[in-house]
Amino acid sequence: MKKLLVLACFTLAAGVAATAFAQESYPSRPITIVAPFPPGGVADLTARPVAAAMEKVLKNPVGVVNKTGAAGAVGMQFVATSKPDGYTLLLALSSISIIPEADKLFGRPPAFTVDQFAPIALISADPTILVVPADKPWKTAADFIEDAKKRPGQISYSSSGVYGTLHMAMELLSHAAGVKLRHVPYAGAGPALTAILGGHVDALASGPAVVLPHIKAGKLRALAGWGDKRVAALPDVPTFKELGYPDAEFYIWAGVFAPRGTPEPVLAKLREALRASVNDGDFKAAMDKLETPVVFKQGDEFTKFFEADARRLAEGVRKVGKLETK
Amino acid sequence: MTETLSNLALGFSIALSPPILFYAFLGCFVGTLVGVLPGVGPLAGISLLLPATFGLDATRAIVMLAGIYYGAMYGGSTTSILMRIPGEAASVMTCIDGYAMARKGRAGAALTIAAVGSYLAGSASVVGLMLLAPPLALFALRFGPPEYFALLMLGLLVLAYMSSGSMLKSLAMATLGLLLGMIGIDQMTGYFRYAYGVVELGDGIGVVPVAVGLFGLAEILATAGLATPPQVVKPKLRELLPTRQEWRESAWPIGRGTVLGFLIGIVPGSAHIIASFVSYAVERKLSKRPEEFGQGAVAGVAGPESANNSATSGAFVPMLALGVPSGPIPAVMLAAMMVHGVAPGPLLIKQQPELFWGFIASMYVGNVVLLILNLPLVGLFVNVLRVPYPILYPSIIAFCILGVYAVNGSVVDVWIMLLMGVLGYLLRKLGFETAPIVLGVVLAPMIEMALRQSLAMSDGQYSIFVSRPIAGTLLLIGLILIILGLKPLVTRGLDWRARLALAEKGQEQP
Repeated sequence: MKKLLVLACFTLAAGVAATAFAQESYPSRPITIVAPFPPGGVADLTARPVAAAMEKVLKNPVGVVNKTGAAGAVGMQFVATSKPDGYTLLLALSSISIIPEADKLFGRPPAFTVDQFAPIALISADPTILVVPADKPWKTAADFIEDAKKRPGQISYSSSGVYGTLHMAMELLSHAAGVKLRHVPYAGAGPALTAILGGHVDALASGPAVVLPHIKAGKLRALAGWGDKRVAALPDVPTFKELGYPDAEFYIWAGVFAPRGTPEPVLAKLREALRASVNDGDFKAAMDKLETPVVFKQGDEFTKFFEADARRLAEGVRKVGKLETK
Repeated sequence: MTETLSNLALGFSIALSPPILFYAFLGCFVGTLVGVLPGVGPLAGISLLLPATFGLDATRAIVMLAGIYYGAMYGGSTTSILMRIPGEAASVMTCIDGYAMARKGRAGAALTIAAVGSYLAGSASVVGLMLLAPPLALFALRFGPPEYFALLMLGLLVLAYMSSGSMLKSLAMATLGLLLGMIGIDQMTGYFRYAYGVVELGDGIGVVPVAVGLFGLAEILATAGLATPPQVVKPKLRELLPTRQEWRESAWPIGRGTVLGFLIGIVPGSAHIIASFVSYAVERKLSKRPEEFGQGAVAGVAGPESANNSATSGAFVPMLALGVPSGPIPAVMLAAMMVHGVAPGPLLIKQQPELFWGFIASMYVGNVVLLILNLPLVGLFVNVLRVPYPILYPSIIAFCILGVYAVNGSVVDVWIMLLMGVLGYLLRKLGFETAPIVLGVVLAPMIEMALRQSLAMSDGQYSIFVSRPIAGTLLLIGLILIILGLKPLVTRGLDWRARLALAEKGQEQP
């Protein structure tokens, strides 16, 4: 019995020492990156190579957990309310700034707010591009906008869902160009693509990677992009900025966040780890296969990007307003 | 044709190479295991295991994922037959007659018929996939929201027309299901409906927790409530194989289920779930003894099992031919291709012939692997029935909770399953069928979305449903069914439904 007691004391002491040690050196146990969307989506496909590369850099296990539901709100809420110790991180997409704004619009208690997160780093940012079926008469974005002005509410487009990223991109364009388009929401980007390929809608704003094969096969035509610069794979496609619509700027981006209140030394370590990770060979290869350009921003630079983007999207949501059904 | 054959030869040379064969086998094996776990269906299985394939090359990864897909599809029927727990929505129909057969000591026969039916349906639909993929895919793309809506309405009408027992009770249950299906974010406006602040309810009520609760848990509660435990006829080894008569009764249902499943499977959307429901309804309508359905009719296992397997292959048609995801599972497979640097799209067949034809050939191989894997396992699985109830039932409940939790990592789902278990128990006591609830939960969001998308497309004009040829034709068939359904009211003859009701009455008051 005495022996047991001594043993227990030792175990306890060792435990206390380990905890104290852990506070000094982060990380000392596995880190979890929450992807708030199902496996196979952009968030998941970005989170996995990021986790693999971080694991190498930090020499500490980094896992990805898919916590899905309510267009990502479930996973984001989960991280927002996690302990800010640097062991639970979030890989979020642009929708992180849309969801709280939509909640506000509907006057419901927000699932989370953007203030609950500390931005760590931006991993990728892909501008959306405007595509139309190849058999439609519009050869340029100017043709498209001119026709849309002539026939308000007649040209239809599909989106990944109401207030979703693809919807927001199109709304920003509508407001910048002063046109009215007809919105047909679908349950996800996949079905939205199927709809335009089947000729059920006239236009779609989409990430470049998924529509490139269809553009190459001559089924779709790219008219313009929402980016600051032209998309590398489509050098002939102008940006809306060049065409005189500077407000039509939109990116589908992926970034890593921690819960607000995470200690600064931990955040600094994570920023450094992510900087090293995006330069990792395997990581670059993985992103190349997805045809997603790596755009790395951290610290103030990321915060500035994030805030500007959030402002644009918040305004977009407010302009759309509450949707009433007929 | 000769080109197809030489391509197929290329495909087989790839599919039969030892590494690919190994991954096909591994996929089928893992898939079967995943499918046997209650609640974890093909979508969950494939999503959970997707990251494990990231280290493989494209062909191997796709072959393995396809193996997991149809392995899980098949594994789901095992728990349906033995324990009345549907692995996913598509096996709900298998639960009804498969479990009734197991109760009568014909579990082995039901499992064998399910395995052979799945094999035949799988192989036949791969032939369809190979020969018809490009033209069929273009046809499938013409299914927009109006056509989809018409198809779903037709499916509902076929089910209503062919359902048995009290029409009032069935409709009440279907309505309850449709109401449950309304919970969640309104896809067209973003409003939360009936969520009461629970963020997890935003995506609506999942089909898996509902199906596992209503069928599996309710069954366990009902059995536990009996004064004397039911005597399960312990199968003898030589009774594992179906009798000659059972084979004969399964042949046509397998054939019909295959064609039906394939056609419904190619339509983009998740309509392939209704393939097994419609197949069950059709078989009951065509059967000479419809009163046996629900009491262990072998056709009620053979038809739906074949239909859900060929729908699986059908769903690959638009995915491979056009690079278009025709449902959640093909969407995950497309993502897997992109991870491996294969750009899915209309040019896939030309640019990556070894992937396309290797995949096709591996589907033949996979179906054979599944048959070889499962026939000997039938004997093993049937032994589950020998486990005494005090051990078997608590472990089933534990596995149900684990399985349902694993799919989304959501405790809310577990609560939904438990509530549905209690609800299912009460409804059984009151003599209601619970399958229409599951159907309602599955169909409500799809029908609503398709209807409102169609109206968004037409700016509120209902004429869109009749002015488009495919949608118009489907709705016309539906109208004919309604008229046929009204006929007995006029002619006052005793149709099979009335005879069935009489037979049931006779049973209750001997």
